[in-house]
Amino acid sequence: MRAAGPWNTHDKTQGSVVLEGRALEKRFGSTVALAGVEQAVRQGEALAVMGPSGSGKSTLLHCLAGIMKPDAGEVHLLGRRVDTMGERERSALRRTRFGFVFQFGQLLPELPAEENVALPLMLGGVPRGQAVRQARGWFAPLGLTGMEGRRPGELSGGQAQRVAIARALVTRPAVVFADEPTGALDQTTGHEVMNLLVSAIKENGAALVVVTHDRQVADWCDRVVEVRDGRIVTPAAGAAR
Amino acid sequence: MNSIRLSWRLLRGGGRKGLLGAGLTLAAVAVSSMLLVFAVTVNFAFDGRADRSAWRNPPPAAKVTGKKSPHKKDAVAVQAVHYQAVGDRMLTVVRLAALDERATPPPGLDRLPAPGQVVLSPALAEVLSGLGGAIGDLRPQPEGSVRLGDEALIHPGELVAVVGHTPDDPELLKPRKGAHGKDVPATWIKGFANEPTNDAIAYQALALIATVLIVVPLLVFGGAAARLTVARRDQRLAALRLVGATPGQVVLMTVAEAMVVAFAGAVLGVVLYGAAAPALSRIEIGGGPWFAGDLWPGPLPLLAVVLAVPLLVGVSAVAGLRRVVVSPLGVAKRETPPGMRAVRVVVFLAVVAAFPVRTAGVGVGVVAVMLGLVFLCVNLVGPWVVALIGRVTTRMARTPARLLAGRRLTDDPRSAWRTVSGVAMTGFVAGFIGLLTPGITSGEVEDPGVAMLIQDLKTGTIVVLTVSFLVAIASAGITAASSILDRRQTYALLRLAGTPLEVLDRARRAETLIPLTVMGGGSIATGAFTAMSFTGGVPSADGLIVLGVSVAAGFAGVVAAGALSRPLLRSVTTEPVPRPD
Repeated sequence: MRAAGPWNTHDKTQGSVVLEGRALEKRFGSTVALAGVEQAVRQGEALAVMGPSGSGKSTLLHCLAGIMKPDAGEVHLLGRRVDTMGERERSALRRTRFGFVFQFGQLLPELPAEENVALPLMLGGVPRGQAVRQARGWFAPLGLTGMEGRRPGELSGGQAQRVAIARALVTRPAVVFADEPTGALDQTTGHEVMNLLVSAIKENGAALVVVTHDRQVADWCDRVVEVRDGRIVTPAAGAAR
Repeated sequence: MNSIRLSWRLLRGGGRKGLLGAGLTLAAVAVSSMLLVFAVTVNFAFDGRADRSAWRNPPPAAKVTGKKSPHKKDAVAVQAVHYQAVGDRMLTVVRLAALDERATPPPGLDRLPAPGQVVLSPALAEVLSGLGGAIGDLRPQPEGSVRLGDEALIHPGELVAVVGHTPDDPELLKPRKGAHGKDVPATWIKGFANEPTNDAIAYQALALIATVLIVVPLLVFGGAAARLTVARRDQRLAALRLVGATPGQVVLMTVAEAMVVAFAGAVLGVVLYGAAAPALSRIEIGGGPWFAGDLWPGPLPLLAVVLAVPLLVGVSAVAGLRRVVVSPLGVAKRETPPGMRAVRVVVFLAVVAAFPVRTAGVGVGVVAVMLGLVFLCVNLVGPWVVALIGRVTTRMARTPARLLAGRRLTDDPRSAWRTVSGVAMTGFVAGFIGLLTPGITSGEVEDPGVAMLIQDLKTGTIVVLTVSFLVAIASAGITAASSILDRRQTYALLRLAGTPLEVLDRARRAETLIPLTVMGGGSIATGAFTAMSFTGGVPSADGLIVLGVSVAAGFAGVVAAGALSRPLLRSVTTEPVPRPD
């Protein structure tokens, strides 16, 4: 049974397209990273992007998340063009509409866990007291009760990733991007983290884009696509969960 | 040997950012070494001047019992030294009458001048020929006349005349104005080798105090340089520990890496000093500039600097590595740091309280040591105060930038202190000098010797404060840049998640300016308190101006140094794929 969280007031079904990349192309020098990729993700959907190292999967994530501008093609978030926005606008978009979970290192080592989670809210102008209160609401559903005051160095790898998930979701984003979110964890902890991540996404009505090379991680998602040489080669492999 | 070779390979293979880190350390060590050579050389330079002017303060001959003065039993000459102003310059006239023709002449002369003979310093000869007339009994001389040698002159532009007389010449024997404006009679002397003049001793003492005021911040800066980009190196060395490197190997590699860079920095510093020496020799103290040789410290002091600086950096690097050596996971885990011990404050207060007692009526050497001790205690108490400020800032933080700054100060107060310690130390210097700055101008004093000393105190103040600020601002800039390099992964990920660059920049600024305000103020107060032992405790208007300008320059310098590293912050946060080393 999935834990009930502060997100459970949202629509839990897969809905309309939230994020869409159209004919995305990206080169680094003479290396082609993306060669006309088309991909969309719907509300409540978990999409896994797989592929070997250097295949272009991380570049796809960066283009979709507005971290990087594609050389050609378009990115749309809820009908708005992302790829034509300036850096400031894309930065604001990442802060308010996207959430991020990385392999490791995204938590600020100086901040206790609750302040790490509260930080995106504070950046959005929420007063500190309220932001911390809101942040604490995410600890129990993610199995982090009692960890609020601990610093990242005092958390296990799995606990740190759960704090990162809370931080990614605290602003109630439209899409959460996860880059090898279980890469630094053992298999059991990895499964726990993926379970929580996918559950939280769905119950929050967000979409999830996971970049991974691990088939077992991908199996937690609704849909898996594989990128090779900058192209999607398996457009509709189903999830095995 | 393998460890050293490996650390050299790691240093070379560190990539662009790694080399930038090593470059920052190199720059920091070079600046420190250059200024260290300068601070040490200044003492030799004043010693040289004291030696060259000692012949004007010769030992008097012993009195012959039963006979009336002026007859003395071992006298070789009669000498009268007097001074007069020529425009805004001081003219020194040494009148000599030889009693023993075989006596060793003073430096700068081949023989004692014959009665009526006048020997001029090159600068005085130039002035007289420019005037086209006489100054008293000193007249322009034809080309090719004998000139007083450099070894008899305090500085190259000094106006000195040596005039020969007969022993009973009334012009020689009549009392004239001495160094401090009083009438001084001629003296029967037994030779020209003697102790330095009181003025020269005063300058040597002031040079020693100035050296302490410059060297202590330099040592702190040098120590900080060794820990630049320490997080990056710690991670690498922790990884080496994990793959089985022994603590000894890790220490050796750290020492080797730090010392290789520091040695290169020290050599560069010496070269930079050599390049700057001609400009430095133009600084006018004691009435004029310096001979080129004055500011050449000689091979041994240079060798000592080139060897001592890397040694200091190596020791400091090892001290910064304790956590890695203790445990391979020492730096992988970031835990709540233990609080700093309040004993630091107790030691600081005890030393400051003891200063007025310990420096009353003692030699300048003891004062210099006590001053250095207070200085080091400011450095001891600094991180403790920074941690305290961090806790208060965190509690009061309402914005993300303030929260990040407060937490960072609490998390690593030593590192935050390193960024501002230079300027805080300069605050101490400014507080000390500000209170000692004389409130009168040289024009208001009748005694030309005192007038010159006042002017020189002001010049010295500017030199010491300039050097201190140079160190402080270089230190602030270099530590700010290295702090970005150390935390670039965190910054990059925060930026990637949409944190505006301005927030990161504001946090960085708050992280520096909040402790700077508190510690700068505290250091100024400590400097002023220590100076109170020597003054009445009321600063002059000039002193307040020195303080005001120092505070403004300190803040502006730190803000500018921080702003200079902004492009680096932008560069590390725009890396699309932040990866750990």
